Amino acid sequence: MTSTSFCLNGREIAQEIDSRQSLADYVRETLNLTGTHLGCEHGACGACTVEVDGTPVRSCLVLAVMCDGKNVETIEGTRTDEAMNIIRRNFREKHALQCGFCTPGMLLTARDIIRRHRAPNDAEIRAELSGQICRCTGYMGIVAAIKSAAVEING
Amino acid sequence: MSISPETETWIGKSLLRKEDIRHLAGAGMFVADIRMPNMQDVAFVRSPIAHGHLLGIEKPAGREASVFTLVDLGAVRCIDAGPELASFRTTPYPPLAGDRVRFVGQTVAACIAPTRAEAEDIAEQVIVNTDDLPTVVDAVAALQPGTATLYDGWSNNAFIHATIAEGDIASVANAPVQMHRTLKMNRQATVALEARGVLAYWDHRLDELVVYTSTQGPHVMRLGIAQSLGLPEHKLRVIAPDVGGGFGGKNRLMPEEIAIAALALKLGHPVRWIEDRREHLIASVHAREHHYDLTLFAETDGRVLGIKGALHVDAGAYALWPSGPFMESSMAARNLPGPYRIKHLHIDTHTVATNKAPLGPYRGVARPGACFAIERAMDELAHELGMDPSELRRINLVSAADMPYRTAGGLLLDTGDYPTALEAAVEMIDLPAIRERQKTPEPDGRKIGVGFAVYTEQSGHGTVEWTKRKSRVVPGYESATVRMLPDGTVHLMVGILNHGQGLETSLAQIAASELGMHPDNISVRHGDTGSTPYGFGTFASRSIVFSGGAVAKACRQLAIKICRIGAHLMQTDTAETALRDNAVHGPSGSVSLAEIARAANTRPELLPQGTEPGLEVTATYEPPDSGGVFSYGVHAALVAADPKTGIVEILKYAVAEDCGTMINPLIVDGQIIGGVAQGIGTALYEELPYDEAGQPLATTFGDYMMPCATEIPHFEIRHFVTPARNTEYGVKGMGEGGAIAPPATIANALTDAFRDIGAKFLETPMTPRRVSEAVARAHGENG
Repeated sequence: MTSTSFCLNGREIAQEIDSRQSLADYVRETLNLTGTHLGCEHGACGACTVEVDGTPVRSCLVLAVMCDGKNVETIEGTRTDEAMNIIRRNFREKHALQCGFCTPGMLLTARDIIRRHRAPNDAEIRAELSGQICRCTGYMGIVAAIKSAAVEING
Repeated sequence: MSISPETETWIGKSLLRKEDIRHLAGAGMFVADIRMPNMQDVAFVRSPIAHGHLLGIEKPAGREASVFTLVDLGAVRCIDAGPELASFRTTPYPPLAGDRVRFVGQTVAACIAPTRAEAEDIAEQVIVNTDDLPTVVDAVAALQPGTATLYDGWSNNAFIHATIAEGDIASVANAPVQMHRTLKMNRQATVALEARGVLAYWDHRLDELVVYTSTQGPHVMRLGIAQSLGLPEHKLRVIAPDVGGGFGGKNRLMPEEIAIAALALKLGHPVRWIEDRREHLIASVHAREHHYDLTLFAETDGRVLGIKGALHVDAGAYALWPSGPFMESSMAARNLPGPYRIKHLHIDTHTVATNKAPLGPYRGVARPGACFAIERAMDELAHELGMDPSELRRINLVSAADMPYRTAGGLLLDTGDYPTALEAAVEMIDLPAIRERQKTPEPDGRKIGVGFAVYTEQSGHGTVEWTKRKSRVVPGYESATVRMLPDGTVHLMVGILNHGQGLETSLAQIAASELGMHPDNISVRHGDTGSTPYGFGTFASRSIVFSGGAVAKACRQLAIKICRIGAHLMQTDTAETALRDNAVHGPSGSVSLAEIARAANTRPELLPQGTEPGLEVTATYEPPDSGGVFSYGVHAALVAADPKTGIVEILKYAVAEDCGTMINPLIVDGQIIGGVAQGIGTALYEELPYDEAGQPLATTFGDYMMPCATEIPHFEIRHFVTPARNTEYGVKGMGEGGAIAPPATIANALTDAFRDIGAKFLETPMTPRRVSEAVARAHGENG
């Protein structure tokens, strides 16, 4: 067990954490924040994407204790984020989700793409999404949603 | 009474989906998200070898009480699976291995601990003692005389041999054109992004076992689990919460479901198992793996007369309840004549047991293989005859005037205009422009090619069809309960499951149309045997036909009662009323649904004499002709392939399709696009190879290639709408069609790209290695 403290979704956390526990398991099983989904547990599908200090990471590959002193945001922390709510609306309007399992990771990745690209084109969005697996939608709605959300957010 | 036309406009509206809201918040509730007090996690010990006697299981010292083998589970029955045919060899598939293991990944023991990590710690200390038996990994070789068998007492490795024949194949034996090809669609996984999961506990208040499981059909699973455990069904409740994709892979009773339920009964506290991706790839439902050996008989003008040959389906080690693997081979054989006027068919099918994970359904079931075989063969024939493949198809396609048309596979194609869809696909992909472009070499050295494939998709098939298939469970109907609450809002309970198909929205659109309401005021409930009427779940593209029909029927019956009460409250005749805009309208006024619902539920003194209180109807529905209705379409792809690296890029992809009336076109497009993306996975990327010892070689997403956004192109879709004659609103199921045609379409495009050298593309997936080898082989043959 390792004494760890970090900021999660704006809340200070200070806990003894099993050193081998992944960040994903910690937020899901200890904190019951189940919006972070596990699709492969080996860093390939991106469903467990969260942000650490403003950068998207695969929480299945990050140990919780590595987040000591850092700022972690899960999908639950984005519910009042204005940009994210614009992205959410665009995801809905463009039918960018079906079963919803990949969606939290997709949304966090989408927000990151929109932050880094002012007006991303289809090819840029597809390249940026290449680490996120969606089995349902065939990606077309996701690409369209990110494109239109970027226009709305970045003007 | 009447229902005003303006309230029917919910049919055909691209309503945004109700279910999106919770998923976009990250607030969906999948099995792994459920928390129970005192819950413990399970990790399974799985067989490390493909075939052997299980000689013993050594539990780690001090942890004996945390490890459970088959004998520790107590009385569990292995229920018969597969078709109810005397010629089908049923195989007991125990939840944990008994005296033998038959594939790598088979469950051997269950280890239990407060967390999965601790359970895995225990599992890795369990020693499984086995001896090695000969391994069978090739479904064709498996039937050779002298080959070892998976099951003692079997004369060979076939679950079943069956011949599908129509017409008289001998009559075309002297046809002027005879073309022989062997084709293969390899094994793949179904890969819902949410893997499977089970959570079970005894609910003392209700005196029942509750099993949460990520399944496509909780009612049918209850039957299977109840029979396996010897529990009466009234003491077993199965709940499918949010299910993160299924695609067929969550529509079979699996050993983990029985083991977890049995453990919960034994231990008295909640028990959970969440499948990890490695377990999914090696031991969940596997799919496809068809070997075709076909001869086409044709006239020199391109008319195809008959198909003769053999089909081997590699079914893996066990038959999964309820249907087993037989449907795969019979459906594939019956779909081989496709949408063509081919009169003679003779296919010997062999459903073969091998030391691999058991085969089950996956989006398209059998038809992606059959479509690959016939559509590839049609192209090969066109090339042999020097015809354009689209022209050969035109000559052979069933026309609109032929409808309804019974194919040589015995399928009654009901409505549609296949040649028009083909023309649309030719136009969308711009065939003349591609032919022009092909005259000049591509500047980057790649070769470009265009391919087409036609498919049909049977859906809405009921009692007649499933009885013909000798199905152990006959999903011949669906049920719906509509309940209007005292404020005039509605709960709609259905027996199907929504796991991404948008049925919480589209079924609400149907109910809203029938009840003159807004869909926002209707909640669709599904997935819980404790609160929904009986149903079979969502598979075989059946839900919009069956459940949509049941919802329409139940709502119409309720509408009659609503109008009767409304007429009484307005002191008018029921015949003078109309139901629309949230109210019953009479000649001189209207009364709101809320007022009617209040009277019916909480103020019975206001009801007309003789009218029972309450506003609730349960109805069941099956289309009048239960042979099924057929969606269809034509896919067209333009690809570029590098002859050296074998890397294939899809430059353009077009779909011309007809699924009858669309309830929600936004959802229909989503199903098409998602299906095509999966079909592209089958065509180019996804494969589960085994080595000779039966070891699976793709156990992570590092070696099982999933198509991502960079592999999947933008799609163009054109709809034709020929309503079905036999279903409510003229709908046809369409959830699978997208996945059927891409392997054939892309292989045909590759064949076209390398037509000058005659490279052959007869096996999926067409990986860079297979493509570059096909090109090199063709060069070798030519050189």
